Amino acid sequence: MPRHGPRSRRAPRRARAGRAAASSAAMALTGQRVLGWGARAAALCRGLRTGPPRLQDTAGAAAKETEQQSATEQSSSILQRNSMRWDGKVYEEVPIAHIKATYNNTHIQVVNFDNRPFSRTSCGTEGFQNAKKGTAIAAQTAAMAAAVKARAKGVLHVRVMVKGLGPGRKAAIKGLTMGGLEVISITDNTPVPHNGCRPRKARRL
Amino acid sequence: MANHLRFVGRTVMVQNGNVEAAYGVLNRILAQDGVAEAVRRSRYYEKPCRARRRRAFEACRRVYSAEMARRIAFLARSARQDPWLGC
Repeated sequence: MPRHGPRSRRAPRRARAGRAAASSAAMALTGQRVLGWGARAAALCRGLRTGPPRLQDTAGAAAKETEQQSATEQSSSILQRNSMRWDGKVYEEVPIAHIKATYNNTHIQVVNFDNRPFSRTSCGTEGFQNAKKGTAIAAQTAAMAAAVKARAKGVLHVRVMVKGLGPGRKAAIKGLTMGGLEVISITDNTPVPHNGCRPRKARRL
Repeated sequence: MANHLRFVGRTVMVQNGNVEAAYGVLNRILAQDGVAEAVRRSRYYEKPCRARRRRAFEACRRVYSAEMARRIAFLARSARQDPWLGC
C-alpha cells in the first residue's frame, strides 16, 4: 500500500502544486487501458500509427465521403492509390487553415497548398481587446470572418492545422464551419520540444 | 513536427461532415499518447526535484489504482455459484 508520501510533503506548497498535479492526476488513471473506446476510434488509432506512405490510403479509406466510394469498395481502396477528391483536388492540394490557439489570443490564416495566403484574421483584428481576445467566442468570430474572406476567394474545402492548447482551439474550427468552409481533416501541429528550450519559471500565485 | 512529413501524424479525417466527432477523436488520441499532458506541463519549467517526485507519485498511484480496480472487480462479481446451496 503506498503511503501518502507526496501529499504530506507538499502540504506547505498546496496552492503551488496547481497545474501539473491536476493534469497528471487525470492522466495517471490511464495505467489501465480502457477497452471500451469505440471500435472506430481504435481502428483510426491503429491506422494512423502505420508507416508514412500507408497513412493517406488508410486514412482516406477510413473516412467515407458521401459523394465518393460505396461501402463495397472500401476494403479494396486500402490497397490502391487513394482516390478521394474534393472539388477535383487531391488531399495534398486542398487549402490549409492554420489555427494558432495561444492562451491569450487566436490567429487564423487560410493558405493555399503552395503557401499563397487567402485570408488572415485574429481576435484582435475582429475588435476584441486584451483579455477578451483569449476567449472562445472571440476565436469563433475570428474564424467566421476568415472563412467568409476565404470563401470570397473561392475556397470551399479546407484542412485544418491546429497549434497550441488555448481556449479558442475548438471554437475556431466550429467558426470555420459556421462561416461556410468545409473541414475535411484536422491535424494537430502543437510544437512539442524534445527537451529543447527551457520554458519560463513556474508562477507562484 | 513541422520538419517531418506534415499531415502524417496527429491527423484525423472528418467523416460525413461530423467535425465534433473528429475533434473528439483527435483529443482522445492526444490524451492517450500523453501529448496534451506533456505540452501543458512544459508551459512552465518543472525543476528536476519536482519532476522526480511527480514521477514517483504517478508510479505509486498507477499501481494503487490498478490494484483497487482489481479489488472492486473481484468484489463486484455477480455470476458465481451459490456457496450456501441447499441451506
